[in-house]
Amino acid sequence: MRQQNELVKGSVDSLLLCSIGQQSMYGYQIIKELENKSQGYFKYKEGTLYPALHRLEKAGLLVGKWEPAAGGRQRRYYHITPKGNKILAEKKVQWLDFLAAMNLIISPVSA
Amino acid sequence: MKTKLTQYIQSLKDHLTMDPASEKDVIHELETHVEDSCQELQNAGLSEDEALEKCLSRLGSAKIVARQIYEANNQGTWRQALLAALPHLLFAIIFALKWWTDINILPIMFVVILGIAIYGWYHGKPYWLFPWLGYSLFPIVAAGVSLLYLPEAWAWITLALYIPLVLLLLSLITIKILKRDWSYSLLMLVPAAAFIGWLLAAGQKPGFPGLKINFMYSFAPWTSLTFLVLAISVALFIRLRQRWLRITTLVTSGIIISTVTILASNQLGPASFIGLVLLIISFLIVPAFVERKVRRDQSAVIQTLLP
Repeated sequence: MRQQNELVKGSVDSLLLCSIGQQSMYGYQIIKELENKSQGYFKYKEGTLYPALHRLEKAGLLVGKWEPAAGGRQRRYYHITPKGNKILAEKKVQWLDFLAAMNLIISPVSA
Repeated sequence: MKTKLTQYIQSLKDHLTMDPASEKDVIHELETHVEDSCQELQNAGLSEDEALEKCLSRLGSAKIVARQIYEANNQGTWRQALLAALPHLLFAIIFALKWWTDINILPIMFVVILGIAIYGWYHGKPYWLFPWLGYSLFPIVAAGVSLLYLPEAWAWITLALYIPLVLLLLSLITIKILKRDWSYSLLMLVPAAAFIGWLLAAGQKPGFPGLKINFMYSFAPWTSLTFLVLAISVALFIRLRQRWLRITTLVTSGIIISTVTILASNQLGPASFIGLVLLIISFLIVPAFVERKVRRDQSAVIQTLLP
């Protein structure tokens, strides 16, 4: 379980950029989306999400804006920036290369 | 149960130490998160109290969340670090090249420094502003020292007016900075330890201005070194994420500067060293104490407003 946590921790930035790159979202929505799409694999300690979002925003990869959500209540939506898209594209290549290499080792036959 | 949420939010505020606008933003964002999470848990069948309890435990310790958000927001870039270190570097160069005796250079530098400080003050008070702000106050300190050389009666009268005015000005500036983070006031105040050290050392030499200027002239390489130490520590302060590491770096640089001043001047004893270290510690403790008091007062007001 600890190793799984380490894997999740190391992939936070990629997961956030990828999710927000597909659709602008607010904090709670991101957590739910990641949990649903990964069938419960990516379950974040909610308090760790916001520091990560703020770090990415500070780095210029995301931008947060207060916008009305469903029901008219204001939520802080995160949007990906052009710089964020560029980094996301690089991270995707790195992940695909990594997965392909892992597959070659873990399941040599199927790879 | 609402009290529990208020306590959680207050604990977040106590540990965030951000400028009021950003703090309000972060708190509002977390409040909306709690609303959404509680609503979902209530829809799943939990009572309001149980939902809030579970939601806050999912968020985790307010202190840790606040600290991580602080660290995510407060790390400056290398560009900001360079800008913050620049006034110290300028003084290091001026003393290393012995340009400080040129009567034209210092006034021009102070006008430039004051201009940059005013620009930063009215443009969001960025991280790099505070060292510039500290230097822009130096002419005020120098004016106070020059009052000591007036005839005795005049010196007392002018000092009686000067000291309250300066304290008022310093308090106004420090309170403005405290609204953001008291540790930034340390960026502004630490160079004062160096200035006071030299003034103390020069004060041991008889005769004004001849011998004192000679002393300052021979002391210039060490002065340059102290500015260099300040530049490095300020750049580190801006780049470091952890608040305690930032403060430790500045306090350590203040102690190094005091040690260099005492040893190199060969004029001051352990009492002066202890005095300088106490001064640095007061720069640390007083703003922290005032900020804590202001926050406690705010917290007390909130508690009285609760049903």
